[in-house]
Amino acid sequence: MKISHKWLKNYIDLEAEPEEVKEKLTMLGLEVESVDYPGEKFKNFYVGEVLEVSKHPNADKLTVCRVRVGKDTLQIICGAPNVAAGQKVPVALVGAVIPRNQHDPEGKPFVLTKAKIRGVESYGMICSEFELGLGDDKEGIMVLEPNAQVGQPLAEYFGLDDVIYDISVTPNRPDCLSHIGVARELAVAFGLKLKKPEFKVVESDKRITDYASVEIIDTLNCPRYAARVVLNVKVEPSPKWLQDYLRAVGLRPINNIVDITNFVLYEVGHPLHAFDYDKLAGHKIVVKCANDGEVFITLDGKARVLRKDTLMICDAEKPVAIAGVMGGANTEITDETKNVLIESAYFNPISIRRTSKYLGLSTDASYRFERGADPEAVIWAVNRAAQLMAEIAGGEVLQGVIDVYPVEIKPKVVSLRFSRLNSVIGFEFSQDDVVKILEGLELEILNRDEKSLTVKVPTFRVDIEREIDLIEEVARVYGYDRIPDKMRSVVHFSTEKVKVDFHNFVRERLIGAGFKEVVTNSMLDEEKASLLGENFVKVLNPLSREMSALRTSLIPSALDVVKHNFGYGVKNLKFFEIGKVFRLAFDEDEKPRYVDNYVEEERLLILMTGVAEPVSYDLGERIFDIYDLKGEVENLFRGIFLENYRFIYYSNNSDIAELEIGIEIGGKYAGRLIKVGDEILNKFDIKADIYIAEIDFDLLCKNSRFEERHYIELPRFPSVFRDLAFVVDESVPVGEVENAIKEKAGAVLKSIRLFDIYRGERIGEGKKSVAFSLEILSKEKTLTDEEVNELIQKVVKYVEQKFEAKLRSY
Amino acid sequence: MINQIEEVKKKFLEEIETVKDEKQLEEFRVKYLGRRGIIQTLFDKLKEIPREEKPTIGKFLNEFKELAQIKFDEKRKEIESGKRKVGELVDLTIPGRFKYTGRKHPLTQTLEEIKKIFVAMGFEIASGPEIEDDYHNFEALNIPPEHPARDMQDTFFIKENIILRTHTSPVQIRVMESKQPPVRIIAPGRVYRNEAISARSYCLFHQVEGLYVDEGVSFAELKGTLLSFAKQMFGSSVKLRFRPSFFPFTEPSAEVDVSCFICGGKGCRVCKYGGWLEILGCGMVDPNVFKFVGYDSEKYTGYAFGMGVERIAMLKYGIDDIRLFYENDFRFLEQF
Repeated sequence: MKISHKWLKNYIDLEAEPEEVKEKLTMLGLEVESVDYPGEKFKNFYVGEVLEVSKHPNADKLTVCRVRVGKDTLQIICGAPNVAAGQKVPVALVGAVIPRNQHDPEGKPFVLTKAKIRGVESYGMICSEFELGLGDDKEGIMVLEPNAQVGQPLAEYFGLDDVIYDISVTPNRPDCLSHIGVARELAVAFGLKLKKPEFKVVESDKRITDYASVEIIDTLNCPRYAARVVLNVKVEPSPKWLQDYLRAVGLRPINNIVDITNFVLYEVGHPLHAFDYDKLAGHKIVVKCANDGEVFITLDGKARVLRKDTLMICDAEKPVAIAGVMGGANTEITDETKNVLIESAYFNPISIRRTSKYLGLSTDASYRFERGADPEAVIWAVNRAAQLMAEIAGGEVLQGVIDVYPVEIKPKVVSLRFSRLNSVIGFEFSQDDVVKILEGLELEILNRDEKSLTVKVPTFRVDIEREIDLIEEVARVYGYDRIPDKMRSVVHFSTEKVKVDFHNFVRERLIGAGFKEVVTNSMLDEEKASLLGENFVKVLNPLSREMSALRTSLIPSALDVVKHNFGYGVKNLKFFEIGKVFRLAFDEDEKPRYVDNYVEEERLLILMTGVAEPVSYDLGERIFDIYDLKGEVENLFRGIFLENYRFIYYSNNSDIAELEIGIEIGGKYAGRLIKVGDEILNKFDIKADIYIAEIDFDLLCKNSRFEERHYIELPRFPSVFRDLAFVVDESVPVGEVENAIKEKAGAVLKSIRLFDIYRGERIGEGKKSVAFSLEILSKEKTLTDEEVNELIQKVVKYVEQKFEAKLRSY
Repeated sequence: MINQIEEVKKKFLEEIETVKDEKQLEEFRVKYLGRRGIIQTLFDKLKEIPREEKPTIGKFLNEFKELAQIKFDEKRKEIESGKRKVGELVDLTIPGRFKYTGRKHPLTQTLEEIKKIFVAMGFEIASGPEIEDDYHNFEALNIPPEHPARDMQDTFFIKENIILRTHTSPVQIRVMESKQPPVRIIAPGRVYRNEAISARSYCLFHQVEGLYVDEGVSFAELKGTLLSFAKQMFGSSVKLRFRPSFFPFTEPSAEVDVSCFICGGKGCRVCKYGGWLEILGCGMVDPNVFKFVGYDSEKYTGYAFGMGVERIAMLKYGIDDIRLFYENDFRFLEQF
């Protein structure tokens, strides 16, 4: 909200510099987002008077003017056709920055210098509206009002010699949404006195009750409604001072009547509305709710569909305004308006908020009503507006105010214990300081003893209801920066076993293996969500169609990462993500941990694409394959002490995978390793082999043996190594041969490693040779050659029988 | 005899240079230093020479044997370590074999730093769901329906009363529902806001929530705790500024600025020449919140705070566009 420094000075004797005001406001909780000096752009611009105009000796279209600016008279060359002696004009002096250059296609600003134009010197410039940035008129110079004061700084003439604070007011402080409200805070902070404007309404002897009446049907949503009637107003543009005030805070002047209601709004914070009295049927106001589906045209010309909970202001026949939000076109003030009814009411914040929300219509009025207006400001505000209408628009204010106020809203009474204040804040306040602060905020001390005090809270402070609210006020005004930083604390020793930071544990393993970590959006489009999981969760009000569902898998966003990096020529990628996926529970037996039937699970994704090792000069380029992925996954498992896993080998392609290996951990399905299928790759417009593993993170944590690591005595005898190569049919899976060897060799086989697969003429078509290295170790003794040979013979025989294999070498 | 030894020595030194691998080395060893090798035969011959020449020749032979052994050991080491002699055309300027380098995401690194500091101060780690109900996200945090404070956070809805959490504060409620004071936790997590995406805001980000409830917890202690955090996080010379603010679930509430650690508070582009950087929101837990979780607000007081991980990471590393975090450009990730 914009607050004008000049305007504030009407209510407090503010002498502080703008920077100091900004600092004070910020430290009071009224955060100043920016400080604007609107007059700065007119530095070196003054009001001048054209004394004499003569033809330029060397140019037909130019004139040589003598212009008085203060004490000096300057010679200025002017090209405008409308320049004439006697005019008051805006003059830029040498050094001024002309906001817009008429001769530049982009209108860029420029610095004015002393110039010789066709042989005649020019010491300034008479400006057009366009050049001043005040309008689009380039045709001639701007002519100021005849009574303009020669030599006055132009900023002052335009009322721009001001400082505008843009304040972000928190929702609990509607009382600060006005100049008087902000002035009150500054008064407390600077120790000044708040001067509320004093005035007397000059009334005619015609009684308002003979001219208008008000009836509140919905007293819950409209606890108070007051009105005044002003007759015989002259609707016209507001005087300059009023227009200047409104422009300063970013409002557009409309006409004197509307401008006065806006002025009062920004002065005291209470929204008013002016009706064309003659258009109010029966000269009557009725406050009640609308009919469902009723259509109403607001004064912005838009048709609004009402609901049965929409509070309306009606006349004897029809609705005339959406209460507290916006008036209707049917009764708005026009140039023909003669008589005005001013509304000043207090509406229920919840009702106004609901209406403003569903209409999608937030106005200066609704913004204040929904945060809580001051029921006590109703009469002051209507009187202020009526008096201004009399002064400015020449109206006749009828005698009396209609004030319908069925149930009075009483000021709250709240107590504060000094001991509580001190213990919550952690600081001993002086009781006198406390009293001074509360009184400064216009809280009336009803009672005070050495332990506590009781205050009456003015109705404009809707945020003060409880003791803690008073504690906040004291701390806030006293100054948070004056409260000490207590650098010690009582820490209760935990009796919970420290959990291993498993996320970090897994992360560090993967980083060591050369993976980068990514963090991706958990929202994606529905098609991608459904592609990789059932029961996906939709977002009702997404930002865009691309983010209308929650991810069921980390795969789609990982492919987006691939796509992004490919776009920048980064083709070799190894990365991982640990993130949540979401879905609806599959059935009633599945009890989600938290909310409703929504399931959140954490997953680990690993992705590899590109060349397996960064290219070097002597090793050939090798593209990642499924075994690289399988190896990384098994490496990770080994690293985190996870042993109870099993791979499931699928022979069929699925929609998304060209190759797929399932993972079972602790007997539960835990995820899969895939080579991503073309159908998916086409959707993401990716042309490369992509290998992805996606694994349930919870199962990783639960099955890691990390917490149960236990020393096993080291073998006291050396291992014996033997190599075995078999020729088998191409169709025999290597894994099965390996398993058969393990099975037959039994416990003495400490490890087995595939070290060669060979295909070639020497072996025969449709055959392959698979070679393993076996590590044999007995816990009891050093095995003799004979014992090892015997074991190997047993294994060879078994494998030969089982797979119709032939021992190739030993 | 001496001449004979000299000849053997010359041959030995010539031949050892031609040894290239272990096999040749072994052959060489057998030939010269073996049990029936040349050097041993020379010793055998020593018996045959005149007694008076024995000391001189014996000494000479022994010296040769020692030299041979040293040369042989050197050679063996050279071969075992694959080391070649300088000048033998090894181009050491050829680049080393590169491996892919892993990196933690800058958000993870920032979060880990934050966690470490608070854990050392005695905070435990808590978590909660991202799909949250209205009660935990708003109502129990003293934000009733129709309250203007709901405008402070634009919400994504899943269905009536179910939303994507707009802050990590609901974890406060869940923790307090599950245990009695003392409670001292931080809760890191992802939160969502229905706001247009720009360089300054994204539809989701990460927060760290903090909560401490016990007897006698005060605002002064909150100030001290956060000051200690800021000094550990940003440097021991930073200052904090507590500005009064409003959050429905704390009172008194404050927004906290840290003195700009880039320019030291003098004013720069990052702090927009103001000298301060806003880093977190905090306050004393509102008694209404205690009412919702069934804590006695006369007996207990507490403080809560919340900070944005992205915000802190951006300040720390000078990142000017929040979207970079979620793009995962490898050229970006490589920098952290």
